[in-house]
Amino acid sequence: MQPMFHRPEASEAPAVPVSEASAAAPAGLAALPPAVAAAVWRGDALGRSVGTTWPSGFDALDAVLPGGGWPGGALTELLLPQAGTLEFRLAGPLLGRIVAGGGRVVLVGPPQPPHAPGLLPHGIGIDALVWVRADTAAERLWATEQLLKAGSCGAVLAWLPQARPEQLRRLQVHAAASAAPALLCRPAVAARESSAAPLRLLAHAGPGWQLQVDVLKRKGPPLAQTLNLSAPPAGLPAVWPARLAEVGRPVSVVPSEAGHAVVRVETIEHRRTTPFH
Amino acid sequence: MPALTPQNTACGVAHARRSPATAVLGALPAALWGALSVTPNALSASDSALQALAVWALQFTPRVAIAEAAVLLEVAASLRLFGGQAALRERLWPGAQELGATALAWAPNALAALALARAGVEDGLRAPLATLLDPLPLGVLSALRPHGQTLSHIGCRTLGDVRRLPRGGLARRFDAALLRALDQAYGHAPQTHTWVTLPERFEARLELPHRVDDASALVFGARRLLLQLSAWLAARQQGTTAFTLHWAHDAMRSRGAGEGGQLTVRTAEPTRAVDHLSRLLAEHLARVTLAAPVGDLRLTADEVRALPQRSESWLPDATAGQEPLAHVLERLSVRLGENRVLRPLLCADHRPEHAGCWQPVGEPLPPGARGVPPPAWPQPALLLAQPLRLLVRQHRPLYQGELQLLLGPQRVEGGWWDRDESSGHTRHAVRDYWVARSAQAGLLWVFQTRLADEPAWYLHGMFA
Repeated sequence: MQPMFHRPEASEAPAVPVSEASAAAPAGLAALPPAVAAAVWRGDALGRSVGTTWPSGFDALDAVLPGGGWPGGALTELLLPQAGTLEFRLAGPLLGRIVAGGGRVVLVGPPQPPHAPGLLPHGIGIDALVWVRADTAAERLWATEQLLKAGSCGAVLAWLPQARPEQLRRLQVHAAASAAPALLCRPAVAARESSAAPLRLLAHAGPGWQLQVDVLKRKGPPLAQTLNLSAPPAGLPAVWPARLAEVGRPVSVVPSEAGHAVVRVETIEHRRTTPFH
Repeated sequence: MPALTPQNTACGVAHARRSPATAVLGALPAALWGALSVTPNALSASDSALQALAVWALQFTPRVAIAEAAVLLEVAASLRLFGGQAALRERLWPGAQELGATALAWAPNALAALALARAGVEDGLRAPLATLLDPLPLGVLSALRPHGQTLSHIGCRTLGDVRRLPRGGLARRFDAALLRALDQAYGHAPQTHTWVTLPERFEARLELPHRVDDASALVFGARRLLLQLSAWLAARQQGTTAFTLHWAHDAMRSRGAGEGGQLTVRTAEPTRAVDHLSRLLAEHLARVTLAAPVGDLRLTADEVRALPQRSESWLPDATAGQEPLAHVLERLSVRLGENRVLRPLLCADHRPEHAGCWQPVGEPLPPGARGVPPPAWPQPALLLAQPLRLLVRQHRPLYQGELQLLLGPQRVEGGWWDRDESSGHTRHAVRDYWVARSAQAGLLWVFQTRLADEPAWYLHGMFA
C-alpha cells in the first residue's frame, strides 16, 4: 500500500528550498493513482483542476485560475458589492461559450428580471435561457440544488445572498457530480464567512470599462494583486464611438445648457484592507 | 391447474429437449420459462393483482400466462434483446417484488418453473430437470394435492417417489390429471397456455392496506400503479402525457366529504419513466388536502403518444446518469408554479419592456417567434419590472450618486396604438435612452421622457 501523501524524507529530499521542490515534479505524486494525483497539489503552487475548465474570456483571469478557467463541476462564488451590477460582464463570455456548445443556462432568482434581447449579444439565444423566478431564499436554494443534482444544465447562475456555509457545502457536493459550472452571486460581505466553494472571486467596477477582480480563494497560494479586466458590456463596443473605448477617460455628453461639461470620475479604490482567508 | 388446462388458444409447446450439457455451455435454450409466484391467500394473490403483475411482465415478452397464485412468462426469445439471462433477471426481479411477487424460478417448461418457484429453488437450469424435481415435496404440483394423503400413506414423500411408481397402476388408481401433470413438469408432454393480452385502455386499481390521511402518503401506493402504467406503456411502445389518479374515500367518512377526488398530472413530453412520474405526482399531491381518509386508488392513462426508442450508442454517453433538464424544469414548475419557470420570447416591439416576453418553459414557441430580429442597439441584461423614477439635481439624474451619461441618446417611440382599456390610457412611450455609469451601481440604462409635461429621468435597466 502506497502512502496517500508524499512525505519528503531526508534521504530523498535533502535541504531543497520549497520553491525548487515544487518546480520539479514531486516524486511522490508518481506513486499515487492518477485520480488522486490530479487532486493533490503543493500549497505553494497553483493546483490543477480535476474536472473540466471553461476559458473565462479574460487572459489575465485565466492565468491565475487553476486549470486555466472557470471550473466545471464545482461552485464558484462571485462576491459583488451589489447584486445586478456586473455579473454578466464577468461571466458573459463563459455563458456564451456554454450556449455555443449546446448547453442551456439557467438563472435562479436574479435581482431584476433578465432581458432576453440584452443577453443576445453574449451569445445566449432564446432557446438556451431559462429563468427560474424563485423569490424566497428557501426556494432559490431548493431550485439550485435540484438543478445541480440533475447535472444536465449547461450552467447555473444563482443569486443566493442568504445562503449559509453548510448550505453551500451541500450545493458543492451536488455540483461535484456534474461537469457544468455553477456560479453563485453573493454579496461582498459574505467574504467574511467561510465557504466550501473552491473558487471565490470578489469583483468591483473599476475606472472606465474595467472590472477589478480579487481572487479570494483558489486551489493554490493566495493572489496578492488585483486583476484589472477590461469588460465593456457585450454589444456595446460594436456601436460606440471611438472616444468611448478609451478606458478611464470618460467623456461627458450630457445635454446641458450650463458649463459643467466634464465630469471627472474619481479612481475607485476597493482594495480590501484585511485578507479574508 | 385451471390456468394450464388445454384451451382453444395459442399452444405453447415447451419441452426440455436440451441435454444438460447445453445448459452448462450457456447455449440459448429452446424455451426458458420464468415463474413469478406470490404468497397464496395474500392480498397480492387476488385476481386483479395477478393481472397487474401479468400486464407488467408483458414488457419483457408477449408470452405471459397466469397460473394459480403465479405468473408464468416465456422469455427465450427476449434474452438477446435484454442482454442475457442475468441482465433480464436484474430488470425483472426488483419490479416484480414491488408488485408483490415473492419467488422467482427459471426452468425449461412452465410447470417445472412453477414447481421450483413454490419450492424456493430459483435456478432450474443448473442440473438435469429430473434431478432437481425429484426431491421436491408433493405440494408443489397442484394436480398432486388432492391425493397427497393417499400418496403419503403408500410412502411417497417426493415427486421422485411418485414417478418411480408403475405408470399403469398410477393411472388406474389416481386420475389422469396427475399423470399428465407429472409428464408435463418433467417435459415429456406439451402444455398449452392462455396468453394474457394487453388491455386497450389502461386502468389499474389498488386497495390500500390501511387508510391514508395525508395526501403526500398516497405516493407510496400510487407508485405501484405507476409501475404498472409504465410497463403497459413499454409493451405498447408509448409514453404518457397525462394521467389521472383517482382516490375513493373510506366508507367511514363524514357526510360532507364526498366520494373521493382526482388529480390529473400532465407532462410536456411523453414519458414512461416511473421515477419522474412519481416525483411529479408527489409534487402535485403535496398541495392536495384530503377531505377524508382514502382507502382505494385508481390510475388511468388519459393521453398516450408513441414514444420511439432511441438507438443505443457505442460511444460513452456524456450525459449518463443525469436527469434530463426538461424533467428537472418540469418538477420546478410544479413546485414553484408554471409562471415562475420561464423561457424568453422576442417580440417585435421597440419598447424594451415589450420586446422581451416570457412564457412557461414547457409551452411551445408561438409560430414566427424565431423570425424576430435582434435589437440593433445594445440593451441591458437585466430590466426593471417598473422604471424607477430618478431624482434630478441640476438637470442631472441621480442614482446612488451622480450618473455619468456615456452613450446616447437612443430615441424610442411607439405604442400609441396600445390602449389600456381599464385605465383608458395608451401605453405610448416617447423616450431617449442613455447608457449611464454609476460609481456604485455599474452601467445603467436610463431614459428621459420626452413630450411629457415635465421631463423626468427613469432607471430602466442594468448592464450587469
